[in-house]
Amino acid sequence: MEVSSLPISASQRGKLISSGYTSLSSLSSVSPSRLAQDLKISENEALEILKVASRRSGLDITDIGACAIVNGAQTAWDILHEEESSVRITTSCSDLDDILGGGINCKEVTEVGGVPGIGKTQLGIQLAINVQIPADYGGLEGKAVYIDTEGSFMVERAFQIAEACIEDMQEYNSFLRKDFQACQNRKDPKDFLDNIFYFRICSYTEQIAVINYLEKFVSEHKDVKAVVIDSITFHFRQDFEDMALRTRLLGGMALKLMKLAKTFNLAVILLNQVTTKYSEGSFQLTLALGDSWSHACTNRVILYWNGNERYAHIDKSPSMRAASAPYAVTGRGIRNCASNSKRVKMM
Amino acid sequence: MKPEDLLRHPLPNQTPKLTLNCPLLDRLLRGGIPCGTITEIAAESGVGKTQFSLQLLLAAQLPAARGGLSASSLCLHSEFPFPFRRLHQLSLFYQSHIPNNPLDHIFIQPLHSPDHLLDLLSRLDYIVSQLNIRLIVIDSVAALFRSEFDNTPLELKRRSSLFFNISSKLKYQAQKFGLAVVVTNQVVDVIESSGNLRIGNSGFLCSSGRRVCPALGLSWANCVNIRLFLWRVEERVEEEGGNIGDMKARRFIRVIFAPHLPDCSCEFIIKREGVFGVNR
Repeated sequence: MEVSSLPISASQRGKLISSGYTSLSSLSSVSPSRLAQDLKISENEALEILKVASRRSGLDITDIGACAIVNGAQTAWDILHEEESSVRITTSCSDLDDILGGGINCKEVTEVGGVPGIGKTQLGIQLAINVQIPADYGGLEGKAVYIDTEGSFMVERAFQIAEACIEDMQEYNSFLRKDFQACQNRKDPKDFLDNIFYFRICSYTEQIAVINYLEKFVSEHKDVKAVVIDSITFHFRQDFEDMALRTRLLGGMALKLMKLAKTFNLAVILLNQVTTKYSEGSFQLTLALGDSWSHACTNRVILYWNGNERYAHIDKSPSMRAASAPYAVTGRGIRNCASNSKRVKMM
Repeated sequence: MKPEDLLRHPLPNQTPKLTLNCPLLDRLLRGGIPCGTITEIAAESGVGKTQFSLQLLLAAQLPAARGGLSASSLCLHSEFPFPFRRLHQLSLFYQSHIPNNPLDHIFIQPLHSPDHLLDLLSRLDYIVSQLNIRLIVIDSVAALFRSEFDNTPLELKRRSSLFFNISSKLKYQAQKFGLAVVVTNQVVDVIESSGNLRIGNSGFLCSSGRRVCPALGLSWANCVNIRLFLWRVEERVEEEGGNIGDMKARRFIRVIFAPHLPDCSCEFIIKREGVFGVNR
């Protein structure tokens, strides 16, 4: 939903758009004082705008002012409430969503790893599309940043997945909202592609530079709700004589990404490769970048083959229990496993 | 250079592709070999890796209307000798579509070691832009690595670091100049007792009745974007009257992994005119 639909004065609207708040989702996480600062208006006025916006997006956060008085402090109750009402990015596979607690969480860094060909890039592209599902359909209506270090992002594949996503939305429409007219504005796959900011990275210095630059970028594009890095690993697996330096660089990067996720209320998805680790006389599969890196992410999902089916396993998560679920990579994107005859659920 | 220079917005409509000069094979790959990424062709010897490479070297020169890149191609070969006579034979079928002699626009460079390759890759900038090259073929990458390294953890680590280095340089060039990069790989036999690691669409690759997997292991698999596998099946052709005829090889190509392709396969044959898909 666009900011231009809000019942506020034209000058306020102009200020909102010129400082990067173009959609309602971009207003969902910002505090009144921050908004006042960005728009150069009084705090009361900012609070008014936020109230209008929250009423429009269906959430009635009346006590928004109360949180802002004590700067930065929040009770655990508030945080819980916020967490429960926050929208997650669906993976389009309901089994996977179930074990993730509804999808990929905003404000968190999620790492996804697996062998080549398991579907890491597919999941990355799927999430870059799904983050754009309109609020009317239970989505975030955000934009995505896609940082490609490996050159695996294929435009035609993103186009296919976007098309399937639109078809699913229409199907949902015809099932449940026969009389609802507001959903008529049909999205075009091209719009989905226009909302993916694509960075192609060819060295680890570029990777660090772009991650440092992201904060500025996101503050100019406040509706970015997902950052996908495919993969975090590739450029860090060559030419590093000094392993301590690598660990420091990676640690710094992880901290930056975590901060970014927190401050802008967005989901960071890092794709990782697997490697073999030599321990006690045998080789075992683990995610790349070593033990210290495994502390860097809030959530860790490992993709693996089980017979002829693809499975995802939650390896690390602060709130969800360890669990596995099958998923499939289809022509339409990530979906439920066909043998698992439940109907594909979209939202 | 600023970070925002790396931002490509809006996205292009289509990835440019290089035709294989056969409609069936192009359909399998949805238009051909994509530019800007690394495509690997893995197969045991004698299935047709080199035939595919030679065909691509020529197809790159075709005009855009025929699916080519209308540019020159560079072949780095580590398997000797280079099949010049076969290349010449194939080039005869391309002469009518290409204004000049096709052989004038194929540059060939032998490779002797992984370090030689690395050295060459860092000097590629000048060569590629001067000679208008849009296709690089490395035939084969496995031959470079299979002799030089010991089977100790330290050596393997050095080897995989080299893989990532080579792959990253190749991807950089591919991205900068919109090159199509094709590398060929050999296969190794799979020994049942060893831990079975599944990479890509099929857990079970067979060629000539043996279980095989692409050489160079997991770390190299991380370095390529697309992996294609060619294999061969020996079949006895039944002749009329119930006589047992000669052994005949059937050849197949399959997508093992690719970001834009489903798991699919196709039979192909090698003729005098080149490699062609077969519809059965």
